Amino acid sequence: MGMVVSRAAPELHRGGIAVLDADGNVTWTDEAWVGEDDESGLPRVAIGSNLLQAYRGYSDPRAQAIANAIDAVFEGKVTYFEIEHRLDRESQSSFVTSVAALRGDRAGAVLIHKVVGEPAPSHPYRPADVRGGDGAHASQGAPRLTPREREVLALMADGSDNRAIAAKLGIQYTTVRGHVRSVVEKLGARSRLEAVARAYQMGLAPT
Amino acid sequence: MTQVHFASTEQELTAPIHFALIHYGDGEMRERVLDFLGPALDDQRQAIYLCGPPGGAARLLRFLERSTARDLTAEVTERRIVLGQGDRDADQQLQNLLDPLRELCERGFSPVRVVGPAAWEVFGYAAPEDFLWYESRVLPGIEGLPAAIMCTYDAAQLPAPALLYGALETHSHTMINGVISESPSFLPADRYLKTRLIHLPWLEPDEQPREISSARGDGPARGQRNRTR
Repeated sequence: MGMVVSRAAPELHRGGIAVLDADGNVTWTDEAWVGEDDESGLPRVAIGSNLLQAYRGYSDPRAQAIANAIDAVFEGKVTYFEIEHRLDRESQSSFVTSVAALRGDRAGAVLIHKVVGEPAPSHPYRPADVRGGDGAHASQGAPRLTPREREVLALMADGSDNRAIAAKLGIQYTTVRGHVRSVVEKLGARSRLEAVARAYQMGLAPT
Repeated sequence: MTQVHFASTEQELTAPIHFALIHYGDGEMRERVLDFLGPALDDQRQAIYLCGPPGGAARLLRFLERSTARDLTAEVTERRIVLGQGDRDADQQLQNLLDPLRELCERGFSPVRVVGPAAWEVFGYAAPEDFLWYESRVLPGIEGLPAAIMCTYDAAQLPAPALLYGALETHSHTMINGVISESPSFLPADRYLKTRLIHLPWLEPDEQPREISSARGDGPARGQRNRTR
């Protein structure tokens, strides 16, 4: 199934459409989209590039939101999504300020989810520094956690910080950080607390 | 017990204390921050720790310098004024606060006054739910220290009511309209985590697609149209 994605920088009178195949590869894109990516700090969109993988590779929550929105379109949860830009007049660069996933047609859109933010112009999106997670969502079943990761998760769910976890388990602080990072990734969470919330939802943490 | 005075108001705090300044706009924030930090600028026995989202501490320092017409470079060099930094990892952010705070206390400064603005979805900063977890862990972390921590929450800027509720629930005291009072909504860290934090609306599972109003609350969710091509 192909899909259409639109983005826009109203002040620049720019916008773009990309048609993706079921794997997230761009099969067609209009001229307005191609070539503006270096300014916005977002992945370059070109025919043949994989947009889903490109956005997954960026750590900023808005880039992740775009990737999630693409997923949601593939899963049929939303029809399309829109990305709003803001123009930084000094540098003439555009920056993503919101990502909205919508259901319905453009005239009768229903907002499903919106992520809003103001990334500083001096901080463009960067490649993720934490990789390797399988991106599993809670609804896809319990993730495979090692026994140690389960211990760490239980202590996270109890509110312990990393130093307290290290003391309780008798392991190094840096080791705990690695376990926490792994747990967050395996639970498909964006944050420590989202991982804890999912642990409770999935029955992985004692109530 | 360490008493903490303000510059121009009669109020007095007993450290350790972690309180939320709920303000509306930059003007009020600056007035309250200056009232809180002012006494430490002229007292060599006191120290200041500034923190917040990326660049926040430097902005606070510049504000202090402009407001008092002083160059505070020497105080920063000798680490009587310390500029901290937030972190996208809330646990690291907690350590970024507690480590220098303990260092300042061990060096004999008393009280140590801390100011840090709350921020929402700022690049390089903790996610809102993690930020609130961090907030809930601050008071237990400063137990026994002569530390007074003011966290500033701008009601004009913060988009989600959940974050302001979080301010009331994670701080033992609040300052509203310049008046310090005990927060009746305050919850200890572990209780806050289990009764509030994991139930934040955006952390609930999405079994059915549902409307989530804009994080900035900037208009109705249903039928909202964005400025796109």
